[in-house]
Amino acid sequence: MKWDQEKIKSILPHRDPFLFIDEVIEIDGMQKVVAVKHIKETEKYFEGHFPGRPIFPGVLLIEAMAQSSIILYSIVKPDIVKRCPEYYLGKVNSEFILPVYPGDELILETTNVKILDQAAITDNLAKVNGKVVAKANFIFSIQINE
Amino acid sequence: MSNSIEVEIRDMVSEILEVPVEKLAPDVDFFKDLNVDSLKAIEIVAAFEKKYRIIVPEEDIPKIRNLGQLIDYTRNISS
Repeated sequence: MKWDQEKIKSILPHRDPFLFIDEVIEIDGMQKVVAVKHIKETEKYFEGHFPGRPIFPGVLLIEAMAQSSIILYSIVKPDIVKRCPEYYLGKVNSEFILPVYPGDELILETTNVKILDQAAITDNLAKVNGKVVAKANFIFSIQINE
Repeated sequence: MSNSIEVEIRDMVSEILEVPVEKLAPDVDFFKDLNVDSLKAIEIVAAFEKKYRIIVPEEDIPKIRNLGQLIDYTRNISS
């Protein structure tokens, strides 16, 4: 493991139940990070999505990939992240391929397309057992609080 | 720099900004006149980099404020 929960929480402003990165297992320079989310059967949202037939919501796949994108941004722009900026997802181009179930280990691969001080573009793959379950391209902005 | 590349750049910017090419005069300011924000700016830069297989340094981006400057920038890096 490269990053534990403590390190992740020092970068991501999210907290339970909306923190979707458990570990960062790979960092390839400023080009790529690989993060993990363990999908627990006890997650509250499975009670309603769907009763008796739990499926990890696609919108949360987007959120998990977006949080992985912030991790990559923090590696490229550490000085800006120290100033606790706010992150706004601006444009999402996504594809959902396979369902994700309780007990799955979700692997999130985020690649740097272009990262600037105030905006970034990332390509993302979400995988379970080596199979791609979702893809997304994000354009997001970074607002620095003065 | 051929006219065809100028047309390519203009069409690319027009598509990203969703602005008709007729409104993309060379001196129309992306930010003041067309309300381009940081998200649209990075989208133009990324598309430009992909198309021409170049890297635009972050410090150069604020200098490119209109279509004419973007075409000039391409002309300079191509020469």
